[in-house]
Amino acid sequence: MAESALDRLYDKIEKALGEKDKRDALYTAMKRGRDNRRKAVELLPGGEAFRKKVRETKLRCLAKQDELVDRFAQKVRQRGASVFLAKDAKAAIDYILKIARQRDAKIVAKSKSLTSEEIEVNQPLEAAGMEVIETDLGELIIQQVHEKPFHLVFPAVHKTLADVAEIFRKATGEDIPDDADAVMKAVRRFVRPYFLNADIGMTGANVGIAEIGAIVIETNEGNARLVSSIPDVHICIMGREKIVETVEDALQMMLAHPISAVGQHLTTYETIMGGRSPLGQGEGNSSRESHIIILDNGRSQMREDPLMQDALNCIRCAACMNICPTYGVVGGHVFGYIYPGPIGIPWTACVHGLEKAGEFAHLCVSCGLCREICPAEIDIPMMIAAVKDRYSKLERHPLVNRALMAAESMAKVGSATAPVSNWFMENKFFRLQMEKYVGIDRRRQLPAFRRRTLAKRFDRRGAAQVSNPVHRVAFFADIYANYNAPDLGMAAVERLESRGCKVLMPPQKGCGYPYIGYGDLNKARKVAEENVRSLAYYTQQGYDIVSTEPTAVYCLKVSYPKLLNDRRDAVEVADRTYEYFEYLEKLEAETPTDCRLHLVGNHFGFHIACHQRSLGSGSHAMAYLKRRGAEIEVIETGTCCGMAGTFGLKEGMLGYELSQAVGEPLFQAFRDSGLQAIVTESSVCKIQLQEGTGLKVWHPLELL
Amino acid sequence: MTEKMVEQFRQKNQSLAGIIHLVAGMDEAAEKVVSILQEKEAQKVALSELPDEFRRILEQRCAGAGMNLLKPPYNHAELPGALDSIQAGVSWAAFAIAETGALVEFATDDANRLVSALTPVHIGIFRAADIVENLMDAAAPIRNFYNQNPRNATVSFISGPSRTADIEMRLILGVHGPAETHAIIIN
Repeated sequence: MAESALDRLYDKIEKALGEKDKRDALYTAMKRGRDNRRKAVELLPGGEAFRKKVRETKLRCLAKQDELVDRFAQKVRQRGASVFLAKDAKAAIDYILKIARQRDAKIVAKSKSLTSEEIEVNQPLEAAGMEVIETDLGELIIQQVHEKPFHLVFPAVHKTLADVAEIFRKATGEDIPDDADAVMKAVRRFVRPYFLNADIGMTGANVGIAEIGAIVIETNEGNARLVSSIPDVHICIMGREKIVETVEDALQMMLAHPISAVGQHLTTYETIMGGRSPLGQGEGNSSRESHIIILDNGRSQMREDPLMQDALNCIRCAACMNICPTYGVVGGHVFGYIYPGPIGIPWTACVHGLEKAGEFAHLCVSCGLCREICPAEIDIPMMIAAVKDRYSKLERHPLVNRALMAAESMAKVGSATAPVSNWFMENKFFRLQMEKYVGIDRRRQLPAFRRRTLAKRFDRRGAAQVSNPVHRVAFFADIYANYNAPDLGMAAVERLESRGCKVLMPPQKGCGYPYIGYGDLNKARKVAEENVRSLAYYTQQGYDIVSTEPTAVYCLKVSYPKLLNDRRDAVEVADRTYEYFEYLEKLEAETPTDCRLHLVGNHFGFHIACHQRSLGSGSHAMAYLKRRGAEIEVIETGTCCGMAGTFGLKEGMLGYELSQAVGEPLFQAFRDSGLQAIVTESSVCKIQLQEGTGLKVWHPLELL
Repeated sequence: MTEKMVEQFRQKNQSLAGIIHLVAGMDEAAEKVVSILQEKEAQKVALSELPDEFRRILEQRCAGAGMNLLKPPYNHAELPGALDSIQAGVSWAAFAIAETGALVEFATDDANRLVSALTPVHIGIFRAADIVENLMDAAAPIRNFYNQNPRNATVSFISGPSRTADIEMRLILGVHGPAETHAIIIN
């Protein structure tokens, strides 16, 4: 049993990798989603700042959620609609069935609602003899073929026009040509009678507004307007976390949602609905009613769970899916249960169970991009780490993940035994065994170990005497600079010294990000604790912390404070931590120097490491090189290169194969750019890009 | 200021596949409505609740053109069938939002919503003076509307025709709602 969940996942990934057409359709959809979002955000006054406002609003409303739910329910009732607080899926379904029986309902017309999918309401309604029809085109398509959504916003993006035409030829018996307009017209004719004759119209709600007791329903097709107005009975099923305080809060969500999903400033239709309006004048109106079901289904518990409560800030925009590198390859059928994608992992764990989430949580490579695009700035990667961590109590971490989490111990051994260890790493037989028994792909060119680590070299050399230092720097090396590239580390140190900094190398461990990535939060906390304790001693004496490794900086600035509950010393260390080139830029801004233009005539493609997206996105290194004459161009697809730390080192579907599929469009972009060489600050992206493009990949320091 | 907002609205709504007409007064607005209806060969037309003056002018002109009008008070017993067979709907927007290109309609009768939801062609009319700059400016009028209507009340934002990209990401208009929308701005 233990291996089977993972085996199933491997099989699903393998199948998905084989379906090129589906992958291409998904890639196009996601890329368009990302690109349109970026364009729309650029048009917003304040740009990305809207995310901060959304987060503030959601946090404020979450803090007083119980009160808002009460106020909302009271206002809704005053307006003449009914409210039912459902503690779980069963309670909600029972309530809906009760209404359906009372009204002798035969047809239920639905507009798209994830919450209704969460409780899987269609099956019990059908079992009770009702016909249930999804009216959103994408949902309707997949309902006809009994599938689950492939993508949250575009559920049927994997179906071609010909597929869809065939689906509706079957459904309608009409002879529909493979023509988009003809299909649309046939769908309009097919669905219209359901709109007109449904006994119950069921919707979700994108927002509930406590102040006025109204719900907001967003659609582009206009189906929710019909479903919520024509049938006598309207039922809305919404999660309690959707309730905000004021009209202004709601407007903010109405903007944030479509802009994040597809780059629209509003959906075509936004309906704010309070109470139950009559339909014309006359007697029959007395049978019109509206029921708002406010679903808990684990949400109150999530709110009490420090590691999961952030998920309640989700506004269901799917931006995290559009940027997720692995979701972009395998799609929602593999990367999801009912809730798909990155945010689907904590949501599934909380409402459908840890086992269900564990089935696909390993697909997260912890690149952190979802956190950078989320309109509510949710720390999704940290929640996923928590899910992986909890799941590991049910099913032990795979061996290879355990090995990679212990990467520093291996590096220590590798370094202590170099050059013998390097000989082994080059040895085909050894690599075959390592692939078979540890799970490290033998095709990967691993960087050689150096016996004299940076720490040793620094100790032997001693701190350079810098008289009247302008700044004091505690250098944080991380594994690569310490065990594999001490020359690079030393060059980094010496450059700082030559700019008048006093540099020390405090006792330190590797940043430990693999513990977060693979989900061992106890160990992650231990490393964080140790590093923070050691570094805080220096920051208290006025030292700044500088590192050449983007992931290490991310860890110090973003992950550690979170792991240590924003403890004062962790926050202080975070505040004083800089990316290497950010620091050099700061020094040059303070003391302008003439630079030698020795890079003139060089044109590089720059790769931004994912963890840099929440830092300077490589801007500092690029500026530094440009001032020395280099021409630099960012080459990007908007997602990860596929390496994702150590993920791409692993053998098989949940490693090398998936990593290559993720990276391919970026490799292609670099090859198409015609550039001679690539610059990146990440030690692991470097391996992936070098192998994937065949181009030379430099760390910026190697060019100086 | 108004001129700038009208222009911003026009550009944004057009980018969403809406058709915009600028007219000088109620008379010209009614004339424009009738010419659109004639061009669409619409014989059966639904009106939602309109300001009295405009309603009088429009009804007169529509009658002159021999059109069949469905108008408030709508009879519940005939709905939604009567609205389903309508070829075009004409409604009045409380205001519009320049930045997003949305018309915003207030209603306390769902039949008014259907005038812009069931018909293949929708014509929405509003005064240039009723354009607000951005989405947040919508908060105050919406709050007022709900305060004035303590029971049922619905606000509809409408930004161009009904659209979907659910088939191969191709833009398709009119899958459930209107495939063609006109906004007439009265200056």
